[in-house]
Amino acid sequence: MNVFLTSIFVIVSVITLVGALGVVMARTVFASGLWLILSFAGVAGLYVLLEAPFLAAAQILIYVGAVAVLILFAVMLTRRVMGDPGVSQNNSQWGAAAVVAALMFIVLSLTSVQNWRPSTESPPLLAVNALGEAFLGPYLLPFEIVSVVLLVALVGAIILARE
Amino acid sequence: MTATNTFGAPVLSLLIFLPLLGAVGISFINRRNVGVIRYATLGVTLVTFLWSLQFYFNFDWNNQGMQFVDRLVWLPSLGVQYLVGIDGISLPMVVLTTLLTAVAVGASWPVETRVKEYMILMLVLETGMLGVFTAIDLFAFFVFWEAALVPMYFLIGVWGGPRRVYASVKFILYTMAGSSLMLIAILALGLSHAGGPTFDLLELVRQPVPPGTQALLFWAFALAFAVKVPLFPLHTWLPDAHVEAPTAGSIILAGVLLKMGTYGLMRFNLPLFPDASRQFAPLFAILAIIGIIYGAWVAFAQRDVKSLVAFSSVSHMGFIVLGIFALNAQGLNGAVMYMVNHGLSTGALFLLVGYIYERRHTRELSAFGGIWATMPLYAVLFLIAMLSSVGLPGLNGFVGEFLTVLGAFRANPIWAAFAALGLILGAVYLFTMFQRVFFGPITDTHNEHLEPLNLREILVAAPLLILMFVLGIYPNLVLGPLQTTVAQVLQMVGTAVALR
Amino acid sequence: MVSGLDFQLFLPETILLVGGIAVLIADLFLRERADRETNLAWVSLAILVAALVASAAQYGVSESLFRSSADPVAPGAFVVDGFTTFFRIIAILTTIIVFLASVEYVRGRTAFRGEFFALMIFSTLAMTLMAGSTDLVMVIISLEFLSITSYILTGYLRGNVKSNEGAVKYFLYGSITTAITFYGASLLFGVAGSTNLYDIAARFADPTAIIGTPLMSLVLPAIIFLLAGFGFKIALVPFHQWSPDAYEGAPTPVTAFLSVGPKAAGFAMLLRVFAVALPEFTHEWAALMIGVAMVTMTLGNIVALSQTNVKRLLAYSSIAQAGYMLIGVAGVSVANIAGIAPGEGGAGLAIDGTAGVLLYILAYLFTNLGLFIGVIAVDYLAGSDTLPGYAGLLRRAPFLTVAMTIFFLSLVGIPPTAGFIGKFWVFGAAIQNQLFALAAVGAINGVISVVYYFRILKQMWYEAPADPTPLRLPGTMNAALWICLSLTLLIGLFPAPFIEFANQSIHMLGVFVRS
Repeated sequence: MNVFLTSIFVIVSVITLVGALGVVMARTVFASGLWLILSFAGVAGLYVLLEAPFLAAAQILIYVGAVAVLILFAVMLTRRVMGDPGVSQNNSQWGAAAVVAALMFIVLSLTSVQNWRPSTESPPLLAVNALGEAFLGPYLLPFEIVSVVLLVALVGAIILARE
Repeated sequence: MTATNTFGAPVLSLLIFLPLLGAVGISFINRRNVGVIRYATLGVTLVTFLWSLQFYFNFDWNNQGMQFVDRLVWLPSLGVQYLVGIDGISLPMVVLTTLLTAVAVGASWPVETRVKEYMILMLVLETGMLGVFTAIDLFAFFVFWEAALVPMYFLIGVWGGPRRVYASVKFILYTMAGSSLMLIAILALGLSHAGGPTFDLLELVRQPVPPGTQALLFWAFALAFAVKVPLFPLHTWLPDAHVEAPTAGSIILAGVLLKMGTYGLMRFNLPLFPDASRQFAPLFAILAIIGIIYGAWVAFAQRDVKSLVAFSSVSHMGFIVLGIFALNAQGLNGAVMYMVNHGLSTGALFLLVGYIYERRHTRELSAFGGIWATMPLYAVLFLIAMLSSVGLPGLNGFVGEFLTVLGAFRANPIWAAFAALGLILGAVYLFTMFQRVFFGPITDTHNEHLEPLNLREILVAAPLLILMFVLGIYPNLVLGPLQTTVAQVLQMVGTAVALR
Repeated sequence: MVSGLDFQLFLPETILLVGGIAVLIADLFLRERADRETNLAWVSLAILVAALVASAAQYGVSESLFRSSADPVAPGAFVVDGFTTFFRIIAILTTIIVFLASVEYVRGRTAFRGEFFALMIFSTLAMTLMAGSTDLVMVIISLEFLSITSYILTGYLRGNVKSNEGAVKYFLYGSITTAITFYGASLLFGVAGSTNLYDIAARFADPTAIIGTPLMSLVLPAIIFLLAGFGFKIALVPFHQWSPDAYEGAPTPVTAFLSVGPKAAGFAMLLRVFAVALPEFTHEWAALMIGVAMVTMTLGNIVALSQTNVKRLLAYSSIAQAGYMLIGVAGVSVANIAGIAPGEGGAGLAIDGTAGVLLYILAYLFTNLGLFIGVIAVDYLAGSDTLPGYAGLLRRAPFLTVAMTIFFLSLVGIPPTAGFIGKFWVFGAAIQNQLFALAAVGAINGVISVVYYFRILKQMWYEAPADPTPLRLPGTMNAALWICLSLTLLIGLFPAPFIEFANQSIHMLGVFVRS
């Protein structure tokens, strides 16, 4: 990998991680939501580096554009959270977090020191076509089931939220 | 050993499941008809008793194997069978069980609360006990073993004394702890059988277990049985359970359930693990002796008549274990004889203690004195039962004691010396108790006008007392059918051949 | 293109899917009718029975569905084999029994009764999908499907703080474990280069392709991460923390459902993924199971000792029960699953660990649901789910007390009940695999469990009731109770056909064992 790509990777990674840290350390839920957008955007950048432009676009559209905005709306509509910034948003279990982080670091380093076989295939130019074929091909069943899951989630949301 | 059934009909299964069928029948009787329920239960137990006598009279004394065998394949893939039969060791236990259950039901007339459930549990318990004494397949044995455990828990817990909850939980925890390890051992034994898994005892004894495994499996079995006996130091559940149990529960517990432990040692531990049995025999003999002396010592200090009898059981059961692990013909014969005798004498003692408790609602030694004057018949009956328990020659207790101590002497004279010490202590505490209850002046005015024994009470106690005389004069009724089986067990253990 | 779209084999799932939607729509039209719950309940029950019949009709079928090529041997995303059939039947039976027990209970407790039935049917669908999934994507989606329905059902009582708390805890815990499971699946995908379980197994079986490179060191983390997801569904220690709160807070019928259905489905998925995709690593994951089983049994039993809420107590009891089942997983023989009969080259064993798990689940299904019918009845009729609420139950409902006593004995594993056969089989599997320590820990745990089971028995049998009015069970609850009681005893007394059923059901399509 050349220096240019590496430095881009570093920048994008830092953006993602800083965003993620911001989510857990922000003083208000609203700020957490804003940091989440930054983290999502960083992930989109990683997809670009992985030569998956369609995924990157989907990430921006769905997560940055829809999910995060939805979260912010929900937060703004919840008066009590907006009006009470004094309460800490995390449980301050820094020790436990450190242990988990250390374990995660071990797994991640194991992953990166592996003798991976790089794929010889070049990524398809129009990933959307392959994706569509996969959804209606080998992944037909999961694709259909996901729609049922969404239906159930919808019903559940109504039951749990309607006064 | 071989298995034969000369009848061709499931006569033995009928015996085992007769009480259970009776229980099903009784569950259809309206709970308000207490009298009907009582008489129906008594009828079922009496029929079962008479049916069990049939086995005694048809038993072939010289047949080496299991008789009246019933076999039904249960789990073909594992070779698990429902396999029951009777040999010289199980025969007296089966008759003792049916007799004592009938006596216990007869003694349950004063039970007034939830009579229906009580009687059903008694009958289920009887099926479990009969199954334990006849099962040849280890799987079937375990099923019956556990099936006998649960009804007793409820009998103590629902109909017992003030500390019944504590006593019943302690009882079930001790016995469950023992049996759960036995299940693992049964599995290990049956599954490791070369030539496919089997749980048939007659198959398993043909194939010796390798020495290392043998010791482990021996202990897993022995622990379950030692808890049940109970062998010192696993005896602590027994006084609680005995004292808190209702009278009928104590009779069954002392008369039959404890024998399940010694029976198991004789039936399973000796033939299945001969090397380990020989290896650990001294240890068990010493624990038995400690139990004999400790039980007698603690019994001496008791202020409550029932707990005195309970601790005397710890002492007496020690004799049985000592007889078994003497590993000779006298010891084993004596042990079986002692099991029958202890069932009769301790059963009778608990029954008689129950009679006086129903009149005075106390069992404190200090509350009595001079009872001989107010209830002379009762005093005589008590005296006979006590003398049988002490081992007076002419009564049944003597034969069993003599044989076990003789067996112990032949194995190791020192054991016999300590056991004899136990005999003397036994006489001391029982006579002291008798003296304080029946002689002397009447210190408590309540004792001046005690209701004399009624006909039911006499009839219930009579068979036990008559048998004490009969077996005392003619012990061969038990020892006769026993010989061939004992000789065979000894042959399997590989020690001295039975003396004839 | 997709092949193997044999809808006949996918019929049970189709019935459940169409049925669930139909119930949702029917509820809309019946909204104004007074008898709508009764009608909807019977319609839902009919749907479930139809699905049950359709599943049972496929006994003996072994075929792969949703294949990516026309080659009939090529494996697809879903498979119908003996194993799937078994767990389809388990899932549907669970829901049927819970249904019978909850028809009266749900009435009057929530405004969304039609949706409750529909959600139960969808949960059943999720469980049947879990049983047959043979693709990591499908595995994760069905896992998530079941989780979402479970969260909603747990929080169903909106006005109830405990119900809300249980649902939130369940959801938070579930989200995190799902993320971990995703990560594990992606590790496995990265190492093997496929999401299909059969393809993954084939890659690992080919020594030149992967074995020998350090990539192997990633398989163990992948196994652990996947176990987090399955263990979460099953409530294995240390993924169990949600379950006491969720069990206590959820409406009692839902607790009954959660204690059996998702557990069974979790075991189905755990066995399927590990046996199909990772037979090369049997030693590794079986060893992991030994440790988890010991910890799960012991912790579940010890914490249960100090519980006073019956639902919470049974939550810990069910954690311990899952530990016993895991003993069977530790004693799994992949050769047996692949259908290599015992004796052929000494590959198979007389008692199979997988058969032990299946047998235990079958026994546990009727035992635990039967017990929960009692808990539902006491909650519904006497309004209590704490220990003192059970005082003197013998006088108030003698038959229910006797039945519950038998269920408790079955959970302890006392013969002649179904639980004994299940324990016998898993312990036997452990002993055949020389896992004596594991079997001994299991046996000792059985004794510990006596203490707290018998504490409830003590209340029911020994104590005097505060209010001696007799409790009359509604007809549907009684029916469910009879089903559970008769099967608990039937399996215990005549186990042979059930053992045969379990032995036949361990065969998974296309499991590859290198000899």
